[in-house]
Amino acid sequence: MALDRSIRPLTTEEIDFEIPKIESFELNNIKVFYVERHNLPIIRLSAIFEGGSRLDPDGKKGLVNLFTMMLDEGAGKFNALELSDEFELLGSSFDSSCSNDAIYIGCRSIKENFEKTLELLCTIINEPRLDVNDFEREKRKILTRLIQLKDDGEEIANNIFDYLLFKKNHPYAFPVIGYEEDIINITINDIVNYYRNNFLTKKLHILVAGNITGDELKLYIEKYFGSWQGNEFNTLPKFDISLTQEQKIYFFHKPDTVQTELRIGYLTEKRNKNNYFSKLILNLILGGQFSSRINLNLRENKGYTYGAFSTFSYLKDVGMFFVSTSVNIENTANAVKEIFYELNEIKKGVSEDELDFAKSSLIRKYPSNFENIRQIVSALNRLVTSDLTVDDIYNYVSNIKKVSLVDVKKAAEEHITPDNCIIILVGDKEKMIPQLKELNFAEVIEVDSKGEPIIKN
Amino acid sequence: MNLLNIEYEKYKLNNGLEVILYKSKNVPLVALNIWYKVGSSNEVKNKTGLAHLFEHMMFQGSLNVPKEMHFKYIQEAGGNLNGSTSFDRTNYYEKVPSNFLDLTLWLESDRMGFMLPSLTQEKLSNQKEVVSNERLERYDNQPYGLAWEIILKNVYPEMHPYSWPTIGYLNDIKNYELEDVNDFFKKYYSPSNAAMVIAGDFETNRIKDLVNTYFGDLPSHKRTIELNYRTSYDIKYKLIEHRENVQLERLYLAWPTTKIFTVDDAKLDLLADVLSGSKSSKLYKEIVYDKELAQDITVFQFSGKYAGHFMISATAKPGVRLSTIKAEIFNILNNVKEIKPEPQVLLKSKNGIRSSFIYSLQNIDSLADQLNYYNFFLNEPNSFNFDLNRYAEVTEEDIQKVAQKYLTEDYIELQILPNNKD
Repeated sequence: MALDRSIRPLTTEEIDFEIPKIESFELNNIKVFYVERHNLPIIRLSAIFEGGSRLDPDGKKGLVNLFTMMLDEGAGKFNALELSDEFELLGSSFDSSCSNDAIYIGCRSIKENFEKTLELLCTIINEPRLDVNDFEREKRKILTRLIQLKDDGEEIANNIFDYLLFKKNHPYAFPVIGYEEDIINITINDIVNYYRNNFLTKKLHILVAGNITGDELKLYIEKYFGSWQGNEFNTLPKFDISLTQEQKIYFFHKPDTVQTELRIGYLTEKRNKNNYFSKLILNLILGGQFSSRINLNLRENKGYTYGAFSTFSYLKDVGMFFVSTSVNIENTANAVKEIFYELNEIKKGVSEDELDFAKSSLIRKYPSNFENIRQIVSALNRLVTSDLTVDDIYNYVSNIKKVSLVDVKKAAEEHITPDNCIIILVGDKEKMIPQLKELNFAEVIEVDSKGEPIIKN
Repeated sequence: MNLLNIEYEKYKLNNGLEVILYKSKNVPLVALNIWYKVGSSNEVKNKTGLAHLFEHMMFQGSLNVPKEMHFKYIQEAGGNLNGSTSFDRTNYYEKVPSNFLDLTLWLESDRMGFMLPSLTQEKLSNQKEVVSNERLERYDNQPYGLAWEIILKNVYPEMHPYSWPTIGYLNDIKNYELEDVNDFFKKYYSPSNAAMVIAGDFETNRIKDLVNTYFGDLPSHKRTIELNYRTSYDIKYKLIEHRENVQLERLYLAWPTTKIFTVDDAKLDLLADVLSGSKSSKLYKEIVYDKELAQDITVFQFSGKYAGHFMISATAKPGVRLSTIKAEIFNILNNVKEIKPEPQVLLKSKNGIRSSFIYSLQNIDSLADQLNYYNFFLNEPNSFNFDLNRYAEVTEEDIQKVAQKYLTEDYIELQILPNNKD
């Protein structure tokens, strides 16, 4: 029988997919979540220490990040170079990072070397050397990094956006890496004090995925964390956040650029069980993937950009919505106009087809989020950072299915608020600014790379 | 290692399309991955960037697939997809839940056979803009973003097909017309010039029937085109200064070496790792860690089907002169040429490579691409163990010898300097 190529092959049956079984246990205030995955001889482990750059004191912005960089600069009997050699000889790797809300430490290893790798990781946690020479070197490295970041339009746009959204005094307003004028004042004593008072927390979370049984893991955790004390954790300070904002354009002049880095957005409520899925679907239709409205308009229709996307992102105490893209500089105003068009348009609601498409996309993609052990550990990570329960992971698909057209329209009406947007432009002002007149925005303000308005005399 | 022994089945359709099947039931997913044996090395000077622009056009629909729908159908199925272009080849891939395999076969066969009927000037004009923006975003507007193409232009002989970047030059991109795209398709996008890997959870007999149904009747229009280039050549030392809006100076050194999978290729990979792969590696320790002359140092061997080069780059700390860094780099290189590395140094690199081979087996889509990669270069998809052994067999003397052989006094030196400095 000849093939009729005009007919798209359809599928009726859905595949069998079981979400990997998530298990947990507690020991000495340490909460462990794990998933067994036995097809390959590899294991990944990650530990979450609550805190992060939001604990940076005034005048010492960048302290927690610098502390994080110090962790693998020597521990126990190993100096920084020896420590790195030890991991490499095992064929294992160590990673650490600092966010606004937490410090993450992780390792990955082949099964036969897992215990030795874990032992090294524990040495880093329990006996970091925090040596002054290493400290001075890492500090100089960050100061040079800050000079390099002056070249990075994306980073500048993100920093200005955060600074203005969080109205400069909030601990989410400054970059995790900190400010030069603050970092030069940080001393080794600040680092040691941070370790003693804030790092060794009672609320430690450990996440594991890979070729290990629950019994094996329990033995390891008892052996290496059995004497874990931890400090009574200082409650994270709460901050008032104002969600309202005046619609204004802020720009940073970066001479001779051929593109404009663009951020358009506002603060919104923190992750909320009642509307999380409606907003997820709403954003997938608006700007969450290649086939979303914003990218199809700006890229596939107008050709202004290589890609344009929107997202709801959630920090511990607040959420953000923003559109981000870089566009060829001649089309700066046109791109802003089209983004606002899409924000206003989606408030009218979405079609049945769009809703079905978004649901199908999210539901059918779910199995591929559990393909490798790094992905599984990030799923476990969200249990901690987004305060989810294991059931939230299991019920993901049914929660997506429940979302109706009315829910999406309501989410758009309440959470897409173009009047509340600030607009950040990073590029050559000689090329950007003349275009802005036609946009008729109330105010166009020039800012420095931090986000502080430049006052002209 | 048994783990790395991948059991597959390979056969050819009558029209010349190579098919490689690898079954794995770990997750209910299936990956389809096609390599067309064409890349930017098939272009000529003043007509650069066409292979990559063409890759974009392949996502603009085909006879039975309207514009934008290739992406939509796959995303609706919860899949992911993309394509990429290099000097040597262009690949296209989808990963979907296993019950959507038919959809991927339909989409890929429609554009393999019937891309041209749906080609329009409007689509081409749009994608020329998109690709121009891609170039601006990833190269022109990136700090040090032009270094790679400046190196290529100087380290390869003038007419060598690696002497221009795959993204192409902006003027060339702007000048393409429908006829160019048409001709390119007819010349290179034939089943006989492609290999398709299907990996994941499927039923073998059904898959074979389907592959035959969708791809079996696509006509082949051209035989495989092999380029013929000298793979080794000599260069003379050359210094290039390039000024741009950056804060810190950066030094690049590049030597012509050897093409992919030659005996020396793996040795050069390991030499790069010994020089900069870790904190205690020779260049990193001396220049970044101990003396703090540079903020970072990167070393790698690049190799393709027709040639390769070895590159060292370092970003100067504020106030440090590039000449100081360069002198220090050559001190260490001379040292490596004189004294072979300690056994432990090589052992670390080899252990790291062995682990990374095992991690790389996790994702069915990257595994599919790797099978096509081995098939393309070695004509044997199941080459994981062979590849790993290439590294395992390298000795301390080998490291010393390739350093002596390739890292000579004739190389390309590129200095990227801030605009505002004298």
